[in-house]
Amino acid sequence: MEAKQQVGLCSVCFHLSADPVCEICRSPSRDPDTVCVVADSRDVIALEKTREYKGKYHVLGGLISPMDGIGPDQLHISPLVRRISQQKIQEVILAISPSVEGDTTTLYVGQLLKPFTKVTRIAFGLPMGGDLEYADEVTLARALEGRRELE
Amino acid sequence: MYLKTLHLRQFRNYREQQVDFLAPKTILVGDNAQGKSNLLEAVELLATLRSHRAMRDRELVLDGETAGQIVATLQRETGITDLGITLRNTGRRTVALNSETLRRQLDFLGVMNAVQFSSLDLELVRGGPGQRRNWIDTLLTQLEPIYAYILQQYNTVLRQRNALLRQQNASSSGAEPQIDLAELAVWDSQLAAIGARVIRRRARVLDRLAPLAQSWHQAISNHTELLDVKYAPNVPLEQDDSAVVQQAFLDKLGQRAIAEQHQGTTLVGPHRDEIEFIINQTPARQYGSQGQQRTLVLSIKLAELKLIELVIGEPPLLLLDDVLAELDLNRQNKLLETIQDRFQTLITTTHLGAFDTQWLKSSQILTVESGHIKF
Repeated sequence: MEAKQQVGLCSVCFHLSADPVCEICRSPSRDPDTVCVVADSRDVIALEKTREYKGKYHVLGGLISPMDGIGPDQLHISPLVRRISQQKIQEVILAISPSVEGDTTTLYVGQLLKPFTKVTRIAFGLPMGGDLEYADEVTLARALEGRRELE
Repeated sequence: MYLKTLHLRQFRNYREQQVDFLAPKTILVGDNAQGKSNLLEAVELLATLRSHRAMRDRELVLDGETAGQIVATLQRETGITDLGITLRNTGRRTVALNSETLRRQLDFLGVMNAVQFSSLDLELVRGGPGQRRNWIDTLLTQLEPIYAYILQQYNTVLRQRNALLRQQNASSSGAEPQIDLAELAVWDSQLAAIGARVIRRRARVLDRLAPLAQSWHQAISNHTELLDVKYAPNVPLEQDDSAVVQQAFLDKLGQRAIAEQHQGTTLVGPHRDEIEFIINQTPARQYGSQGQQRTLVLSIKLAELKLIELVIGEPPLLLLDDVLAELDLNRQNKLLETIQDRFQTLITTTHLGAFDTQWLKSSQILTVESGHIKF
């Protein structure tokens, strides 16, 4: 109960936070030029566990789903657009799962942000330790779609 | 492929029944409503995860029980596979291959293949376009399991887009703000992208099936009739190219935009496709005689059998539900000649009288009586 009362949302990125501005947004050691957009606070926690990402986040609070009455206005999309257009952000990474609703949200947000900065989306493909011959068709098709040039 | 054993547990009217298939042909004989078709339905579920008779899994579970099970052993050229489906009243299904539960049902499809032919199949000619779309989707799912995933995605986009159109429909009647055109545009492009995949796969399978069905129909009608199976997609398909189909899709969405807003539903897309059966340049649906329609359905079923064998590389199972009696001798013989011993065949009938004695001799005959099978 106490935790529930204390925890609110960060006013900048909308991640769960006890303070008005969350630890990640306040941290001086994090790259302020990169913003990773996710659907849910749980995704921030998952990405943080990797300790590979050093930029900042933006939590949308869900996915576009008209069946559930969720449109762009129900998500934290306009604060994101404001944030990106007003600050000098180098890159926005869209890290949203590849479901029908996720893809729609990615396309929608991507179009709004493209005029202001470089927009990328995370790749979907084979799991580590996964053998190509055992990968299913859906995953393989996605992996092919997201292929890139050998460096 | 050969289905060696089938075990039904609390499935339909079977409490616990083991069946060992000992001959390429099995005849299930019994009065009506004893469970003959239920057994074929179990095989159909193993092949397609669909039933053409049940709307909900609840109907598939024995009355008074919460869950039922179908377990089978299948011999293929590559080896033996155990298949299992658990059905629950709640509708949640579990599927397993070699006793390992699969995370996705998609991976279960394509292991076993079957063509079902029942007296209900005349509806394929006489019924509405939904019946024919359902038929081609079931066939595609067996040939290209990934199609099940594409179709499910398409249906999700369709439902979402319809919900959006309905909202806007409701709000435009009041003083509420109008449509978010940007959001609708994103749903449009999703619908067109996934819809184009559905359309192209349907077109491709019909291209391969049509000549097979045509030659069967010619043979059965003694070269008096010419059958054309034609795909009539709602979105015009001029070229089998993803970008072209998507553009045609978007163009048509643009043309129908006002009607869609007015009706609050999606009017463009493969969910409104039609498949036309034409005999001697006349639509079989309206003008075909009973006999022509029966020949047509038989030709299509034989074509399915052939196509699956071509694509999979092994003959599928054939399920004949109460149809032999409805076919005249000429058509019966054509069917039996084709089957011979190449296709494992499960046949249900109320009387053994209609069968050739040669046939009876080489078949395993099982008697079905109120949910029990006697050997």
